[in-house]
Amino acid sequence: MVSKTEETQLNRLENQVDNGGGGAWEYLCLVRKLKVRRSEKVLKYGLSILNDSRKRSALGPEEWTLYEQVAIAAMDCQCLDVAKDCIKVLQKKFPESKRVGRLNGMLLEAKGSWAEAEKAYSSLLEDNPLDQVIHKRRVAMAKAQGNISGAIELLNKYLEIFMADHEAWRELAEIYISLQMYKQAAFCYEELILSQPTVPMHHLAYADVLYTLSGLENLQTAKKYYASTIDLTGGKNTRALFGICLCTSAIAQVSKGRNKEDKESPELHSLAATALEKDYKQRASDKLGLLTSALRSLKT
Amino acid sequence: MAEDLVLDTAIRDWVLIPLSVVMVLIGILRYFVSKLMRSFQVPDPKIVKEGQVIVRARNLRAAANFIPPKSFRSRRVYFSNEENGLLFVPKGQAQNAQAQMFSDPNMAMDMMKKNLSMIIPQTLTFAWVNFFFSGFVAAKIPFPLTQRFRSMLQNGIDLSTVDVSYVSSRSWYFLNLFGLRGLFSLILGEENATDDTQRMMQMSGFGFDPSKSLGAEKDGLDIVQHEWALPKFEHRAEAVLKKLVS
Repeated sequence: MVSKTEETQLNRLENQVDNGGGGAWEYLCLVRKLKVRRSEKVLKYGLSILNDSRKRSALGPEEWTLYEQVAIAAMDCQCLDVAKDCIKVLQKKFPESKRVGRLNGMLLEAKGSWAEAEKAYSSLLEDNPLDQVIHKRRVAMAKAQGNISGAIELLNKYLEIFMADHEAWRELAEIYISLQMYKQAAFCYEELILSQPTVPMHHLAYADVLYTLSGLENLQTAKKYYASTIDLTGGKNTRALFGICLCTSAIAQVSKGRNKEDKESPELHSLAATALEKDYKQRASDKLGLLTSALRSLKT
Repeated sequence: MAEDLVLDTAIRDWVLIPLSVVMVLIGILRYFVSKLMRSFQVPDPKIVKEGQVIVRARNLRAAANFIPPKSFRSRRVYFSNEENGLLFVPKGQAQNAQAQMFSDPNMAMDMMKKNLSMIIPQTLTFAWVNFFFSGFVAAKIPFPLTQRFRSMLQNGIDLSTVDVSYVSSRSWYFLNLFGLRGLFSLILGEENATDDTQRMMQMSGFGFDPSKSLGAEKDGLDIVQHEWALPKFEHRAEAVLKKLVS
């Protein structure tokens, strides 16, 4: 995930390059380092560097990395001939390379010939059964073909070996949510929280899933995780504030018959409501009326 | 008999400095040769999986307080279960690892190559030093030593009355051998093949590594007491919001 400073730096560079101020190479390097997906810009500026033979030779050995980056960006924008040219250049330079083989497989994927791509990937996997990227590409292919259960199976097998890969856990969680398998999604989010306990996004997603699962215990746990998100983000996360209000009202509804008082944090609900109102007043004051009426209906 | 021998400066010019220079050059040569000869080691899937299991178990231990107690317990059972837990290594298997390492042809070849690249230059240089630079006093060690070191440090010098601080060039060779390690890590970066002593230590401890660390993780996991930190967070969130709202 990209941090705030890196994001601002990226945007600044992007603006600079857009307005013709040079610095295209730094922009491309930053995009590559942060692994963000800005394929159109990468394609435009990358091609401008590659087609200019003087700038190309100025890059030295980095030229090939740029070819790879532009090839992937071209495939993302469906400019398949550009991608094919780049791959051809790379293949001439590195004939037996696994990376180029992977790019070929991706090109077949982009063209839509799934069977051939699958064949290419399997042959690459035979030589190198522990290549993480190829495993992930197979999962992506299954997902793109609409074969979600196949994707889940492949991803689970991948995670049996590479169980410390938190990006894969995140992908699996999102797939489970799309299929409404919330218990499994909760498990995946727990894994994410274990590996990165200070990232508020995981706490928030876990709380959302727990709230959706419902049931008194889950609702109370969800409230706790919304609270931890608020703590980790300094109270600025609107969704967590809403979550607290919703959880409190849901708990009150579920435990209407029983006399279960929430001794732990009686003021949290009202504080969250006040914080929300303050936030809306600042940022979207025309919607403040909607907010107050919604909160009032929750309190009852 | 603490008399001061005056050593010719020519010794410094023609013995000490050339010997050091030669050793540095040989070290650099060895580094490049080892780089060329290094075969690409295909990662064993079992070892990769074990590494990842260890990382996951470690994460579980570190952040155990962030997940609900039920999930923590279920995960702990998953890891340290007697029958098919991931971290559970039966006693018999632990011994096998080292035996397997020696019988595995690839790894044996690898170790032999590394050994050769270490031993041959060392032997050659040592023989060269002995042949050319023996029979005279090369240097004086600045601190006094006992008589026991005489046989080690003064090997070419056949006078028994010379102070032990005056050493032969053989000891200068050994001094360089161990001392240039720091210099090499500066010049060549972290990964250089001149780390003989470290390599020897690594070889003896290699076989046990995977199963031992699994066992260690299992013990660590068994010890952990789960103390759910989340209730505290509610209070902290309250405090944060109070500050924000006021």
